[in-house]
Amino acid sequence: MQVKTIMVAVALWIGPSLLHAQFDFHVDSRDVQVHSFASQGFMYSNTNNYLTMNTSHGSAALTDFGVNISTAITDKFRVGAQLYDYNLGLLGNFHPQLDWAYGDYKFKDWLGIRAGKVKTVQGLSHDVQDMEFLHTWALMPQSVYPLDTRGDTIAHIGADMYGDIGIKKVGSFAYTFFGGKRPNDADGGYLYGVDTMSHVPAPQGGFMYITGQTKNVTYYGGPVYGADLHWTTPVKGLLLGASYMIQDITTTGTYVKPIVVPYKLTTVTDKATEFYLEYTLGNLRFAGEYRSEPKIVQLNQPSGVLVQGFQDSRSGYVSLSYRFTKWLELGSYHSRYVDNWPVMHSDPRNHIFDQVFTARFDVNRNIDFKIEGHFIDGAAIDGVLDHGFYAAPNPTGLAPNMHMLVMRIGYHM
Amino acid sequence: MKNLQIFLIATVVGICAAMTASASDIKVIANPTVGASSVSADELKGVFLATKSSLSDGSHVEPVLEKDGPVHEAFVKEYLGKTDAALQTYYRSLVFTGKAAMPKTLAADADVVAYVAKTRGAIGYVSAAASTAGVKTLEVK
Repeated sequence: MQVKTIMVAVALWIGPSLLHAQFDFHVDSRDVQVHSFASQGFMYSNTNNYLTMNTSHGSAALTDFGVNISTAITDKFRVGAQLYDYNLGLLGNFHPQLDWAYGDYKFKDWLGIRAGKVKTVQGLSHDVQDMEFLHTWALMPQSVYPLDTRGDTIAHIGADMYGDIGIKKVGSFAYTFFGGKRPNDADGGYLYGVDTMSHVPAPQGGFMYITGQTKNVTYYGGPVYGADLHWTTPVKGLLLGASYMIQDITTTGTYVKPIVVPYKLTTVTDKATEFYLEYTLGNLRFAGEYRSEPKIVQLNQPSGVLVQGFQDSRSGYVSLSYRFTKWLELGSYHSRYVDNWPVMHSDPRNHIFDQVFTARFDVNRNIDFKIEGHFIDGAAIDGVLDHGFYAAPNPTGLAPNMHMLVMRIGYHM
Repeated sequence: MKNLQIFLIATVVGICAAMTASASDIKVIANPTVGASSVSADELKGVFLATKSSLSDGSHVEPVLEKDGPVHEAFVKEYLGKTDAALQTYYRSLVFTGKAAMPKTLAADADVVAYVAKTRGAIGYVSAAASTAGVKTLEVK
């Protein structure tokens, strides 16, 4: 697996250079643009295995790449598509995905429609969370932007209505209303987590899992709709925003243990609210996001009895970064995830706190390298879902604290 | 010794001043098909941040940028409120989500003028001293 990963990574690095991965050409006098990106990461942790990677021994199973093509058919109508592929530990497995593909008609600057598979606009960075070259960080704050469930949440198949409205002295407002269906990432962390989830907390502080596949879950999806509002305020460099999203997710499959019967998990209610801000002053950037997502789900137990699960998760982060030169940027963020807000927050089974320090080096306009330290407190194993700390890759249990080194190199054109 | 220090400091300050430009050193130019003769600072920001694709007179416009240099740095800072690095990140976020194309970027004033002159709806910026034959100059209000 390591050899395969390294070979793919090498091919990724050589390939774009040979092809000169961004180029323009013309079809029937229309300018067609092709862009691409690739990244390779390495993670080493002192205790737990994270994000299904074998991080406790050092792992390079963090690779992604994509290529997109787009053109303007008319002044108002654009079309484009992006292919994306990734491998993250036991997830992804280099199965290519159609990341986005849509037509975009802009009636006016204040009214446009996109339809197809569209990246979901939520918060500061939801739709660009997976493009490492856009961010200071090697790993985005996992409380708000979990890498392992990226494919389950990053896009919807449906439509957006969007626009920009400028109001003198008040600033400008960018709005997006969206609606559609969640795609099913068969190789994503959500299905993997549900498949392998079966754990109990150890009595004295640590965590212990009973592992083994209990389900074979094959489908995740359902309607999703919501809105986002970015307000570029009259205060220079200050952006405020809010997002709202409602999901009705159904997960289906089969129980494998203790008996083979159908498995079905449905959403009773799932509403996510998010507030965010960004302030930039020259090379200084401060950002913060806060997200609340209370949800009730219903599932059948192997016996056939229907049970409901309640979760009121809260997550957020604050970050500060400064670009010292064209090639050096330093930053830090503090990320917090609390799985169930009404329950004691200080319990490491109910939270993941992550303090991060990053140095980003821009070798040139197209290549960046990052080195990052994570100081993680908690693993939130009491939750309905796993949050990077999965049962199967940690068969001997989980430590409540973890330190981790992340290095990542990225290329884009 | 003290005089030498003052001379060196003055030289460095002078070089830095010569390498920077301000809004008054910039001329905003457009293809003659653009109907407007002036543009507001908010419109200019919207056009170069790809949130506006037309001016108040209805003219469709497309931004053209210089690759680097003091005029580019000054334009990005004064009119867009960003650094060059932040602007590049912003454009990439649009390109890699399919929301916009990467705008045309050219190396020098003469290249920008030549491209704007031949491209319908093109709008760009050059140094105030640049020759602008074949394009129209827009007043920024």
